[in-house]
Amino acid sequence: MNLIREIWRSIVRRDPLSTDKGKSELVFLNVWLHIHPAKVKKENIKFRYSFYLGFITFFLFLILLTTGIALMFYYRPYPSVAYQDMKDLQFAVFMGPFLRNMHRWAAQAMVLCVFLHMCRVFYTGSYKKPRQFNWVIGVMLLLLTLGLSFTGYLLPWDQLAYWAITVGTNIGSYAPLIGGRLRELLLGGHTVGEAALIRFYVLHVAILPSLVILLTIVHFWRVRKDGGLSRPLWKLKPRKTEALVTIGAPAEVAPLHVAAASQDKTYGLMEVVTGKPIFETVTPEEEEDTVFSYPYAFVREAVALMATVTTIMTVSLFFNAPLEEMANPAVTPNPAKAPWYFLGLQELVSHSALLGGVVIPALMVIALIAIPYFDKNPSRRPRDRKWALWVFTFFVVANVALIIIGTFFRGPGWAWVPPWVHVVARPE
Amino acid sequence: MERRLQQVFFGLSLLALVLILATEWQASTPSWKNYQRKYLQLEAQEEPNAASKAAVLATPLAINQVILPGLQRVDRCTTCHLGVEDPTMKNVPEPFRYHAGLEPHVPSKFGCTICHGGQGLATDMKDAHGNVAFWQNPLLPADYVRASCGRCHKEGEVPGVPELTEGRHLFETEGCHGCHKLNGVGGSIGPDLTAEGANHRSPEWLVRHFLTPNVVSPGSAMPNFHFTQEQARALSYFMLSLTSQDMGSYYSSMQLIPSPEFGRQLFVEKDCMACHAIGGVGGKTAPDLAGVTKRHSTEWLDEQLVNPELVYPGSSMPEYDLESNARKALVAFLASATPEDAQLILARKGHPLTPQDAAIEAGKQDFARFGCAGCHGTELQGGVPNPNAQGEQVPSLLHVSDDYTKDEVIAIIRDGMVPPLDNPKGLTPPLYMPSWKSVLSDEDINRIADFLWSKQEKKESW
Repeated sequence: MNLIREIWRSIVRRDPLSTDKGKSELVFLNVWLHIHPAKVKKENIKFRYSFYLGFITFFLFLILLTTGIALMFYYRPYPSVAYQDMKDLQFAVFMGPFLRNMHRWAAQAMVLCVFLHMCRVFYTGSYKKPRQFNWVIGVMLLLLTLGLSFTGYLLPWDQLAYWAITVGTNIGSYAPLIGGRLRELLLGGHTVGEAALIRFYVLHVAILPSLVILLTIVHFWRVRKDGGLSRPLWKLKPRKTEALVTIGAPAEVAPLHVAAASQDKTYGLMEVVTGKPIFETVTPEEEEDTVFSYPYAFVREAVALMATVTTIMTVSLFFNAPLEEMANPAVTPNPAKAPWYFLGLQELVSHSALLGGVVIPALMVIALIAIPYFDKNPSRRPRDRKWALWVFTFFVVANVALIIIGTFFRGPGWAWVPPWVHVVARPE
Repeated sequence: MERRLQQVFFGLSLLALVLILATEWQASTPSWKNYQRKYLQLEAQEEPNAASKAAVLATPLAINQVILPGLQRVDRCTTCHLGVEDPTMKNVPEPFRYHAGLEPHVPSKFGCTICHGGQGLATDMKDAHGNVAFWQNPLLPADYVRASCGRCHKEGEVPGVPELTEGRHLFETEGCHGCHKLNGVGGSIGPDLTAEGANHRSPEWLVRHFLTPNVVSPGSAMPNFHFTQEQARALSYFMLSLTSQDMGSYYSSMQLIPSPEFGRQLFVEKDCMACHAIGGVGGKTAPDLAGVTKRHSTEWLDEQLVNPELVYPGSSMPEYDLESNARKALVAFLASATPEDAQLILARKGHPLTPQDAAIEAGKQDFARFGCAGCHGTELQGGVPNPNAQGEQVPSLLHVSDDYTKDEVIAIIRDGMVPPLDNPKGLTPPLYMPSWKSVLSDEDINRIADFLWSKQEKKESW
């Protein structure tokens, strides 16, 4: 019995969770949890502030990693056998359909959640100083997510995959000078074939996930270093210019440095490696405002995790991931559509290839990256930043509208066909 | 609040567990397992004692599959159709029933879907029978399964499938080549039919199309040939058999079935009777072939046909360079050949043609082979409707010499011609005379012209 206790104590070295010290140690003695602060602001863990969209995106990514690795055991990235492997997953592999469904639906959900997370961050003005660069990393993660979804789209090697990628890479090739070259580099040739499949596979299972993991670590780290989530808008206090922090020593000795107090910082450094201890002046009301991460933050995150997992599982149980007939370069479906999140682009391309395929998407990405540097308005209050909100809302609505048009209102020959009109294909 | 959240967390975890179990249950009770259990019960009924019954029932359930690289498919049909090769399962209901007359096309070498269609990889009925979205090759109706014989047996007669022979014959004689390409030969007015069988058209559609092309495909240039129901069926058989799929060497070696009929054809073609006789009827310079299959082994005969000098040094028999199936066919014919056969062959041989007649005959052959008859009619009568062309139809060729000189006709065949319009403002007529210069040699064209001139009806004199 003593031995068991000794082993347990060697694994779990913190104090009991009934003590405050134990609750703190649970966080900062644990490599997985120490990305959290020991204490968090009460208001910041409210669902109605962040909707936990960042967490949900991260959890979806975890689902994608695990199901993706499982799927790799059954998949060979070579044209005809790739499709056969899809059929094997569907008909012969134990729980194969469920595995593929989970991966497919989690991927679609992740694209959606990354986008919604970005909207939340924008509407709460959380990209403002000092978080500008973290917004940029977020935009990169959005692009990587799209890249992951796009490269994964080809792997089943069915008609849907083949033509979506053909159309998608054609959109990219409208870029002047480098477009054609880029497409060639990505496809390993002029058409989607064996070379394209292996390239997309390597990007999908190795390069892009590694980049996402690396950037996610940086993304989380910076949120943590910037004092956790930004303050909910309803808790914003009037700006106090006179609040100062003394750095250096207790009152009777001359301070080393006097700096403006941060509005958002709630954590104190426990110790510093060199030099003298830092004392941060924390107002009593701010002190009352915080709670221990355990259990308050963790239980909410756990609920978000389980809600994400069960939702994806339920959807996967009832809805099968699409799998059309095997890719056939000789038979072009009409219309051939890109993956849904690129249909807005395809809609634009149908009006002007250069403008829709190159200029507008490039400007969109540049604008997204530039937002925190361009928007110098320090206030996060909606009434102070009406202009920014209107512009961003226009961008969101336009994107969603274009995607809806491309998805539901475009028929053969990219003609305007509402979803309630049934088009009968005429055999040649 | 915190308590509630904990409850929600445990509730959701429980739900996740239930979902996992539900999926696992769903995955571990596929329909094929039920079928296999039922089959084992059927088999167990036959067993004499309880011990052997139990042994049968304890057979592990497993997906059966035939991997067929040569046919580029994997068939799992025998996972449920377990009695296909077991004659004792003659009178049991599907999916266990015995497949009569399967030899030599055993599932282990051919699978099932190459003949029947369907989705070989699937393991539940609906998907396997292929009537699902995105599977374009569903089970063929029982009546049309035999069309698949033509996928491997691309030439000659296929025993038991007269429709296929009839369809191929109609395709040649009705001039389909004039508009349609088949294996690189033919016109380009209509679609290429080389892989028509892979276009996933249903047999019903094909039959209707042959009977009433314009109703099924509005705006089609294809004339109505007024085929009978049987002819339309035969042509549909032929269409379903057309595939450009690359069959493995084993399967493509069976293009020709070594039947006695084919052997007889070769016997006539190679003029064996110039030297050989059968039962005293025929040439006398070489051994009589009556009973030759009893005197020699099959291997010996085969060797003799490959290399006569090796078997009989100094033999005067030429090397005919026959492929393996052709040799087998010849031997099969010789096994059953009688002096009466020899009489018949000799009687049909006829007299050699004069050079002039030979050229006309060759022109006639070309006229049929390259599909001119498709539009101009087998008797040159024309009459195929061609909206907005002069006379609203393809002209008869029985009177061309009235309007054209022979050289002009040769030029029209070589360079093609758009028919003069009835209404200059109307639509272009769907049918036109294509240019043949890339297909036919000048010699061929001249022969066709000779053939046409031999058929000209004299102008009525008044």
